[in-house]
Amino acid sequence: MSTAIITDTHTADHHGHHEHHEPSFIRKYVFSTDHKMISKQFLITGIIMGCLGMGMSLLFRLQLAWPDQSFPFLETLLGKWAKDGKLDPNYYMALVTIHGTIMVFYVLTAGLSGTFSNLLIPLQVGARDMASPFMNMLSYWFFFMSSCVLMSSFLVETGPASSGWTVYPPLSALSKAMPGSGLGTTLWLVAIILFIVSSLLGGINYITTVLNMRTQGMSMNRLPLTIWAFLLTAILGLLSFPVLLGAGLLLIFDRSFGTSFYLSDIHLNGVGALTNSGGSPVLYQHLFWFLGHPEVYIILMPALGISSEVISTNARKPIFGYTAMVISLIGISFLSFIVWGHHMFITGMNPFLGTMFMYVTLIIAVPSAVKTFNYLATLWKGNIRFTPAMMFAIGLVSLFISGGLTGIYLGNAALDIQLHDSYFVVAHFHLVMGSASIFGMFAGIYHWFPKMFGKMMNKTLGSLHFWLTFVSAYLVFFPMHFMGLAGVPRRYYQFSLIPEFGIWMDVNILITVAAILGGLAQLLFIYNFFNSIFRGQKATQNPWLSNTLEWSTPVKHIHGNWEGDIPTVYRGPHEYSRPDRELDYFPQYEKGDGEPEHYHAPSTQVDTAFEGKKEKASAVFFSSFAALFMKKA
Amino acid sequence: MPQLKHRPTKQVQVRMKPFLKFTFKLTLAVVILSGAAFFMSKSIDIQGVSTEQLSAAKPFFGADEYAYEAPKGDPAESALSSKINWAIIGFTILMVLVLANAFDISKYTAKITGRETVNQNNVNKWVMLIFMLVGLALTIWEFQAHGKLILLNNSASAHGVDYDSMFTITLILTSIVFFITQFLLFWFSFKYAHKEGEKALYLAHNNRLEVFWTIIPAIVLTLLVLRGHQTWRSVVYAEENNNGKIHSIEVFAYQFGWKARYAGEDGIMGIADYKFISGKNELGLAFKPEVDSLIVELKAQIEAEKAVINDIKSGAALIALQNSYTEVENLRDYKNMESLQKEIDALNNGDKLDEAEASIKRKTKQIERILAIQNNSKQFASTFNGAANDDIITQEIHIAKDSLVTFNFRSKDIIHSAWLPHMRAQMNVVPGMPTKFTFRPTKSTVEAKKEFGEEFEFYLYCNKICGVSHYNMKIKVVVESQAEVNAWLATQQPAFIKKPVAVPAIMNSSDTMMQADTTKKLAIN
Repeated sequence: MSTAIITDTHTADHHGHHEHHEPSFIRKYVFSTDHKMISKQFLITGIIMGCLGMGMSLLFRLQLAWPDQSFPFLETLLGKWAKDGKLDPNYYMALVTIHGTIMVFYVLTAGLSGTFSNLLIPLQVGARDMASPFMNMLSYWFFFMSSCVLMSSFLVETGPASSGWTVYPPLSALSKAMPGSGLGTTLWLVAIILFIVSSLLGGINYITTVLNMRTQGMSMNRLPLTIWAFLLTAILGLLSFPVLLGAGLLLIFDRSFGTSFYLSDIHLNGVGALTNSGGSPVLYQHLFWFLGHPEVYIILMPALGISSEVISTNARKPIFGYTAMVISLIGISFLSFIVWGHHMFITGMNPFLGTMFMYVTLIIAVPSAVKTFNYLATLWKGNIRFTPAMMFAIGLVSLFISGGLTGIYLGNAALDIQLHDSYFVVAHFHLVMGSASIFGMFAGIYHWFPKMFGKMMNKTLGSLHFWLTFVSAYLVFFPMHFMGLAGVPRRYYQFSLIPEFGIWMDVNILITVAAILGGLAQLLFIYNFFNSIFRGQKATQNPWLSNTLEWSTPVKHIHGNWEGDIPTVYRGPHEYSRPDRELDYFPQYEKGDGEPEHYHAPSTQVDTAFEGKKEKASAVFFSSFAALFMKKA
Repeated sequence: MPQLKHRPTKQVQVRMKPFLKFTFKLTLAVVILSGAAFFMSKSIDIQGVSTEQLSAAKPFFGADEYAYEAPKGDPAESALSSKINWAIIGFTILMVLVLANAFDISKYTAKITGRETVNQNNVNKWVMLIFMLVGLALTIWEFQAHGKLILLNNSASAHGVDYDSMFTITLILTSIVFFITQFLLFWFSFKYAHKEGEKALYLAHNNRLEVFWTIIPAIVLTLLVLRGHQTWRSVVYAEENNNGKIHSIEVFAYQFGWKARYAGEDGIMGIADYKFISGKNELGLAFKPEVDSLIVELKAQIEAEKAVINDIKSGAALIALQNSYTEVENLRDYKNMESLQKEIDALNNGDKLDEAEASIKRKTKQIERILAIQNNSKQFASTFNGAANDDIITQEIHIAKDSLVTFNFRSKDIIHSAWLPHMRAQMNVVPGMPTKFTFRPTKSTVEAKKEFGEEFEFYLYCNKICGVSHYNMKIKVVVESQAEVNAWLATQQPAFIKKPVAVPAIMNSSDTMMQADTTKKLAIN
């Protein structure tokens, strides 16, 4: 007792209570090792990159809608790349390339997974911080450096990388093939390598934290689905990003050191026959898509995890089929590693491999369908609160259905002959991977904003933002299916040179106008976001009346997350509207009356109405899959 | 534990501040709106066209204007259409502003009266329903409006019919799923929106249901896979499965165009190699005299570059450049000054030297490799067998209706992709790796013109990003009768050995054989 008093007076003698625990400005806001601050850093960098990426898309949409029109502001903005207000074809392709790169890697990988893995993993599994906070900080700063290097390629005289976000050699390997393949591509490669380092540092951390630092009672089957999604995402990244690193390094060798990994038998205009011999451009495509396909799920799965959590909370219902959801995620993760060839059906790859890749690709539709139906079943007989987050999650499901179904066309090798690289592909991946994941990101931001900043976002502006974004997403991408089916190729600078495409001019204008509308809607979001940080209504501790562990932490961020002990977890994360409780939620960390340590949900009357057999869902799931495989063999 | 069920709306006394703020915002919106409306009407009036005429001249978006053609270079009209488009954008911005203000009204009334006048949950619930109804209606409308334009059930090739039926099956199945799931999603959102005093149904899982909706997609997808497997194999193994005669045409891609090569009178396609490509021998055919003159040319170039290197090393090049720089400097010719400065920089930092040395290395290697072929008697005999001498290189592809044709693709520089949308045919063209596509055209150009309009032509497009003119890389494909193809070929000159004009050569292209480069096989990468 006496010692306590002594220490108290001792600290009081110094300036204030926490003065020597309080980190300096730089340690707190810049080189912070606190996962909550790092997640904010990821988010804000992601938002800035997102604005740049979206702005680029609007520039090239202007070109596509009004190819003969001169826009003087473009010359002011871009100088020699838009002489007389008309976008240069090379710059058009640079914009397409960097738009793709930014959106795929910087916004939807780092911005989405980086933000929410960092914020939620320690908070939802009950850990004081990440397993390695220092590595976490490095992860952000590598990402930041990578963003800077990528954007600096706009300052290069020959322009940024312009061979598409896939950067296929030989186009990207030969600086004489197009201006962007000079220094611009070198910077692109450096940026991506830094990005991979960031992603790997983050990924190792996420996996370690989830596996080792769960609080008492937080068994794997009590993990929120967000954490499952982040864990599997991190595993995918850890296994696939090194392959891209390899591909990038070999490309650097080919570009700079005269090797021939990807080059063979080339006679380039203005250069003559190259000495490279024996390489294969298709090798790069294999390596690239070995990352590229898991990357699609690296982007999508966190969004699915977030939407599961948001839908369950706001429908006030347990997520339907938790086990099935987890198994679907695992199934998708596993399958995503063996389907990369469906990007390459007509690249000259052996047609036999095409059949193999078609089989496994279409199998992915099964877990995806299960997820969709489970979402629908979660909404059924719910008590839905339309918070902005909930609406974005519902929008995600809608976009996931629309974009996912077209995957059944593209995964079919035969149908891909015609659809490959057409606008149909553009429509497909922008709906299922682009828009759906962006919607997941928005859902996450609206839902966890009170946790991040201790303030509430404006709900009205949020609703407006959702509806405008949702409508414009469909207006932009839905008509593109029809363009693709009519034979319009992607990555064309203008269509007016081919008379057959003239009929699509009006649709192109509609798409651009809708895209501008969508862009303006994001201004609402940006205003709402920054305005709410500073002037938003103060948040309560658990504003959505949610079950998960992060809402048991104080509103004001503290180092170590919980003031006292880390709470113990007594049940799964989705116990909403339990019939035996008056309140419609039951936090994971709240001990029920006379409840044993290991609580099992009672099977209720409603549940038994459908209940046939008593097998575990997982067992049935596996046996049905086993049957499926055996049939095939 | 905070036991707040709903965030209560704050009880706020009537204050002047929100009133003033609101009135200010409303006035601002009205002023902006009316100003913009005035500006818009003005900008349209300048052209002297009324709004009715406008909509008649350029319908913005609708089912019936596909006959409408984009204005071609008429500045007045394009300026007008641009104004309309900007007007649309401006209008959209205003709508956003007005909507934002409208929503603000509810916020302020709520603040003043102390209770929530608009139940946002209800508003959003109804918007969900409206979105679903309008969205599904628009989807159906779009299928009707644009469904006519998509390439379906109008294939111009034999396998295209299979393709179209595969597509139709997938379309029907996915459409059913699309409409059902989208309907349920929004219907549930509408029906089960929050009601005061009600509790959701506690339903964590149901095994039977989950097994049901795992098995059903699995079965449907198995069927699709099997059907797709069949279609895919029938397309990609068309050549192997056919024991009849196949016409082979080489389709050659380069930045930025296509060329076709037909076997000449001998019916044998000669060997071609990227190492033989020269100004006169664009496809790099194995034609001995041309290859010999290429070697001479390369040697001369090497000598020239050696001279350049000597100039650089002795400093003469720099002096010459500096002299011409002072010359243009005196003339104040800034453009030339800039380009000369760049050349001087390239000299000073060694780029120019490196470039010349690399070029010499490349050319020496090329000569070395060509000589290696020539000095190896076996290789020499198989390469320079004379088959290439009478090959015909054309700027158009003519193929015969109803006969099987194989396009053998070869790329000069980088990856291109050959796409014939109407034939449902596509294959990448990869440098260093021969690829091919076999199909049977079933619709002649004349027939297609009847279907798609007088101006219609079949084109083969490039569909893999390949550089600055990617969007304009196409070659005309003409489908006609075998006799017409033969007659057309007879008018074409062989690449090297010119045939006498008077003798009409009848080429029996059904005997055409592709002599594949045996050193390269379709890689199983």
